[in-house]
Amino acid sequence: MKVTFKIIIFFLYSQISISQIIPFQIGKHEQEKIFDRKPDYFKMDWEKETHLKSEQIQIDSDSLDLQNIDFLTDARDHPFLYSVKISTPVCADGECRLMDIRFYWDLLGNYAGFDKIENLPLTKYEHEEFSDADYLKLHQLLQDKNSILGERSIDELVEEPAESSLPEGVDALSGATIAEVKGSTIEGALYSSHVAWRLANGDIREKLKEHTVSMLNEELLHDLLYSDNGDYQFFALKNFDDNMYRKEYNRVSEIFRSSIPLTRKYIIKNLPDFFWDEEELQYKLWEYFPEVDLGTRSLLLDHLECATQSAIEIISERLEVLTQNQLKIYLEFLKQNKKMVDPEVVENLKKTAISNEYAYSYLVQKFLIATNGY
Amino acid sequence: MKNAKKYVSCLILILSIYTGFSQGLLIEAESFDVKGGWVVDPQFVEQMGSPYLMAHGMGVPVENAMTRVQFKEKGAYNVWIRTKNWVPGNWDAPGRFQVKVNNKILKNVMGTTPEWGWENAGKVDIDQDEIKLELVDLTGFNGRADAIYFSMEDNPPPSSAEKLLEWRTTVLNKSESPTNIRKFDLVVVGGGIAGCAAAVAAAEQGLKVALIHDRPVLGGNASSEIRVHTLGIYGNFERILKNLDTKHYPNGNPEAKIDQQKRDTYMKNIENIDLFLNWRAFDAVAEENTIKYVDARHTSTGEEVRFEAPLFVDSTGDGWIGFWAGAEFSYGRESVNEYGESWDKWGELWSPEEPDNAVMGSSVLWRTKETKIGKTFPDVPWALPVTKGHAAENGEWYWEFSRNDLHQIHDAEEIRDHMLKAIYGSFSNAKKKKENEKLELEWVSYLVGKRESRRLVGDYIYTFKDIKESRNFRDAVVMEDREVDVHFQEVLTDEGMPDFLSKALFYETDRYYIPYRSFYSKNIDNLFMAGRDFSASHIGLGGPRVMNTTGQMGAAVGFAAAICHEHEVKPRTVYTDYLKEYLDLIESQKNGYMILRKSQK
Repeated sequence: MKVTFKIIIFFLYSQISISQIIPFQIGKHEQEKIFDRKPDYFKMDWEKETHLKSEQIQIDSDSLDLQNIDFLTDARDHPFLYSVKISTPVCADGECRLMDIRFYWDLLGNYAGFDKIENLPLTKYEHEEFSDADYLKLHQLLQDKNSILGERSIDELVEEPAESSLPEGVDALSGATIAEVKGSTIEGALYSSHVAWRLANGDIREKLKEHTVSMLNEELLHDLLYSDNGDYQFFALKNFDDNMYRKEYNRVSEIFRSSIPLTRKYIIKNLPDFFWDEEELQYKLWEYFPEVDLGTRSLLLDHLECATQSAIEIISERLEVLTQNQLKIYLEFLKQNKKMVDPEVVENLKKTAISNEYAYSYLVQKFLIATNGY
Repeated sequence: MKNAKKYVSCLILILSIYTGFSQGLLIEAESFDVKGGWVVDPQFVEQMGSPYLMAHGMGVPVENAMTRVQFKEKGAYNVWIRTKNWVPGNWDAPGRFQVKVNNKILKNVMGTTPEWGWENAGKVDIDQDEIKLELVDLTGFNGRADAIYFSMEDNPPPSSAEKLLEWRTTVLNKSESPTNIRKFDLVVVGGGIAGCAAAVAAAEQGLKVALIHDRPVLGGNASSEIRVHTLGIYGNFERILKNLDTKHYPNGNPEAKIDQQKRDTYMKNIENIDLFLNWRAFDAVAEENTIKYVDARHTSTGEEVRFEAPLFVDSTGDGWIGFWAGAEFSYGRESVNEYGESWDKWGELWSPEEPDNAVMGSSVLWRTKETKIGKTFPDVPWALPVTKGHAAENGEWYWEFSRNDLHQIHDAEEIRDHMLKAIYGSFSNAKKKKENEKLELEWVSYLVGKRESRRLVGDYIYTFKDIKESRNFRDAVVMEDREVDVHFQEVLTDEGMPDFLSKALFYETDRYYIPYRSFYSKNIDNLFMAGRDFSASHIGLGGPRVMNTTGQMGAAVGFAAAICHEHEVKPRTVYTDYLKEYLDLIESQKNGYMILRKSQK
């Protein structure tokens, strides 16, 4: 019984993922080749009046096979999204039903959203239709590219039913979802969740990104850099040369301030050297020193040796944001670079030294005593 | 083995170390006769100078620690305590305690000054030859005492690390080097799963082995003190590793105690191993790239021993033996291009364009229990800047902390303390919920469970590329099926998350193999390494860092040591001249062990 169970699960799943994806089907939108409404579930911004044109491209991936994909461009003919309508069987307990859905991906191949297909709702175990909450949950779990659904095969996600619990003559029965995966799936729709995640987050992502990369030019990089999408900004930065950094330094500094720590750190670690030689350029970074995350501050402090006087003053104004180790680095720098300890810096040090709020004010006190208060 | 037991027993009889010094008397807190509820913490000796006593009561004041002190000279003494406020800030210090002399509490509260230093507990008139000295915990929140100094002078002893060391050596009348010298065929430092396996494999082959470990129980991260379950496969060494590993219980589970018993019993019954529990190595000296000896100190008595051997294994996790001996090592993340370790899906999170000092973090595990009548939990305002609103009832592997201004070795105490704040703060928040009224802390580890620190450089640096390509090596001795599993701090991608939680990135892979050349130092010619300090890149470590795999490394190294011993050669020569014999030995030991004694040649 045990062997049969596993084999059938494997067999059914193989069918889903590889051989039975029904090719792209033309629907109402496809005939018009226009996409002018926000998808039913969509994680990106969608401005009113967005009007996307579609061009079909062929992409060959393990997760979708050879597919005609809609490559969507905006009114300026700039790349915008990828999309495909899929009809694929989802099988459990020896029975298969079709899953009909239209997926959207962004220009980096990240899952962006999906459309329900009219009159073809997604279904759960025993044909129960997805509720609105189920669709929303599906949208959320498809956004998690680190989901356990990607790490495990379907038979690793179900607890095999005890042999005695299997009715006579039943070859396969979906077992209970393992506890670890319950938060990453829709109740009663493990198989649909698993299939949908694999389709949306399979190697199609890389293939779509490759397509975008093949079209990369300064204009597209500019679009990506000025987008509100953090992934786009990061991608643009990764593809910048020194000239682009110089040309776009205002935008780079804005991103530095507003982005996630991962992006900030990337910026600091990868800025061209000339950034640190020019006061105006580096000031754009130091002025955000008190606001940015702690890890980024550490990386900025690695550049103290080329910091300008204004940078040293900015730090001195907000010493209380420094960790103990960061404060030690800063004070050691002052000790070695006495010329940079101007009256404003001294005043700020004195204020911090008597602060009751800052846990490490005693280190500033010690420093002032050791240096005779400057 | 009997000898080792007898030796350790003798050391335990030396209950306190203190030496008259004209007008001063120094008592190391860890040498107290009775520890009460205080625990000996030797984790940060290299940074703060000594093991210390800590009142780890999870919010409930612990029983007094007590010792008796003999005085040569009567008079009025200042009582100085080396301690620290481990959470300086605008609140009452959490680790407060007082000192009691002959049942009289001294007036000053200790544990209130930031950083390790001397605080004055008060003045006492000593009019007896012997007094009773006690540490009285006030909070249960990790007050710490390193040493107590009775002095007729008003000035405290020195505080700076260098001067303190010099002063301590003088006051304690220590010799410059250990006079007790022990000789072995192999010295293994670090009794985690890797170190245990190395010791067993070598001992089975007839080598006289010293296993030095700074805790009372073996197993390192798998021990009942840290409670991480073992993962990975046994490879060629099932016979040994199944006696050392754990079941796959949730991390932090008390079942770890059962596996601890299994492991300790097994290890204590292996012939040829002299087990030095509660001994911490503090130096290794190499001449012409060959380690001559390792010095170790008992974590309570302070007694020192010099261990001499032709071969050493660094299974300290932090690569201390290699570091002291001058072995090449690495720390942090290499550039993605250095070894071709990219994974486009995760980009910078996986391997950065520019190298940096980011590493996977350390965990401190904890758990709670339901009780019939729940006690209240004290307010912990000092923890809330770390936890903010985060509430939790248990810890798991993802309770992990790494930050780029903190080094996993040099700043380990701050990392541990950050995790304690995270735990107490999160539990305090959880306790405020109605449904958690009857919840109490059952267990909180105080030991840092590290994932990554120094990696010693061997003849071969194992990388992600080797894993991706499932590259086989003619000297492959360790194998693994487990995915590559690299962590990052969640706050990197979501600034709203607490900074003590991590996420894992898994790279699924076929079986991969690690060559013997990754288990001996490139430039210290008699040094093996096994465990997380083996020769690997940051990503290369991601898969094999789990404890059955590191156990394989240990066993592989132990058998290699037997070949070295047999032919009187260094580790590299096993690869160049005796590889077939070595691989044959690994194969033949699977069904039972065969002794390669020289006398049987």
